[in-house]
Amino acid sequence: MNKFMDMLENVLMPVADKLNNNRYLTALRNGFMVALPLIIFGSMFVVIANLPFLDELIGEEAFATYQDLLGPASASTLSIMGLFVIMGIGYKMVEQRGGESVYGAAVAVASFLILTPQVVEDTAGGIPTNVLGAEGMFLGIFTAFFAAEIYQAFVKRDLTIKMPAGVPDAVSRSFSALIPIALTLTIFLVVRIIFGFTPFETVQEFIYTIIQEPLTALGSGLPATLIAVLLIQVFWFFGLHGQIIVNSVFDPIWYALNDQNLSAYQAGEELPNIVTKQFIDTFIVGIGGSGMTLAVLIAILLVAKSRQLKEIGKIATPPGIFNVNEPVIFGLPIIMNPLVIIPWLLAPVVVAFVTYMFMSVGIVPRPAGIIVPWTTPVLLSGYMATGNQIMGAVMQLINMAIVFIIWLPFLKVMDRQYYDNEQSEK
Amino acid sequence: MKKILLACSAGMSTSLLVTRMQEEAESRGLEAEIWAVAQDKAPEDMKKADVLLIGPQMRFMKKKFSKVADEVGIPLDSIDPVAYGRVDGKAVLDKALELIDG
Repeated sequence: MNKFMDMLENVLMPVADKLNNNRYLTALRNGFMVALPLIIFGSMFVVIANLPFLDELIGEEAFATYQDLLGPASASTLSIMGLFVIMGIGYKMVEQRGGESVYGAAVAVASFLILTPQVVEDTAGGIPTNVLGAEGMFLGIFTAFFAAEIYQAFVKRDLTIKMPAGVPDAVSRSFSALIPIALTLTIFLVVRIIFGFTPFETVQEFIYTIIQEPLTALGSGLPATLIAVLLIQVFWFFGLHGQIIVNSVFDPIWYALNDQNLSAYQAGEELPNIVTKQFIDTFIVGIGGSGMTLAVLIAILLVAKSRQLKEIGKIATPPGIFNVNEPVIFGLPIIMNPLVIIPWLLAPVVVAFVTYMFMSVGIVPRPAGIIVPWTTPVLLSGYMATGNQIMGAVMQLINMAIVFIIWLPFLKVMDRQYYDNEQSEK
Repeated sequence: MKKILLACSAGMSTSLLVTRMQEEAESRGLEAEIWAVAQDKAPEDMKKADVLLIGPQMRFMKKKFSKVADEVGIPLDSIDPVAYGRVDGKAVLDKALELIDG
């Protein structure tokens, strides 16, 4: 067993290392972090705008006015999150290279806008907001990568205007960015023009059809989701932060799916996707953290006799309520512990499967595209993520029960062992 | 004044440890500034710290942080998983001081 574990760790460590130290994936992850406060702000206002029973309380008409008044909060943040992700990626890419990062953000956004259709319903001079949200996300990510790289390459080749000594620093800095930015944007303009002659007409359309649609279709399916969930657990079993590793690949897909649901939700249409960012964050991870350890802690609090498990229950429950579970993972311990490998790997996969089924037959509403902060306690998060639906919280309760049942026999064996050891030590 | 920086994915689980380490430092009468940050903020904050400790779940970032640590000239290591699980402020504070004294 030990040999096998060593072997697996030798495989996983380099993968984790590669994924996390890859410049592009790092910029992507940190770029999303730039957008996150805005996304959460917008989400909270979607929740407030859709408070239950309010339409009956104040009347349909007043409710419509109320929603209109709050609309801009999410329309300017959550619905155009792609824009902020692009800004974040451009900034972080140039920052990594030690350049002036704010120009990285500017050049990324401008390049993206150059590639974007600038016609809304046949009226020129407008930019459709849907391409600034989920639809343009993949193009935005790639554009930000390329724009920042090209800009930085031009800066490096010193294609800058040198100012004579005595010119104020801020002035010469603004000129130093001029040539690299102008050259970068020209390249993107040429790309736009070339694509105008293809059947796709715009780069947006091209990336959407060739990359985004197939990838999101794959990512929204049950098999890919179960694999992602399982991978998160496998990484964590070796004490590596599975979520941060897997998310850096899946986040663009999950967020794009999320945004599709949000648009449908706000338009009052049927929600197209089951798997979204919030499907993972609320119904699988959001129950005490990766591996849904809050249910494990409840089991410990109810049945544990050994001092060691009781102690873990005491230390780990308060942070566990807010989905911080490192004390359980390292304290129980879960890492490298053959006793818990079965429930640890199995429970989240079963939960993902059951949740998917419940949502696909419509017993439980699908996530409405609202991004709930990951530290939101269970039940509240399920309620909010589904657009203020009690059934969202009920689904989380069912999931907790599943985890509890799968874990219980293994916990009892573990508790027995610890207890016997403690007795014999006395 | 010892300045100890902790980093994990979001700075959440390490902040649990920060509280315990502060209590421990206080009881020893040790003057210390101890704080936790998310991994993307770590390189920036390393400039203000005497030592960096990484949550064990982020130990794959050690190589990347080592480069920055060398530049600013501070030691770093990942936290022992057992001490991390027990939120053992005493053990981790000892480790930090040991690294600073190098």
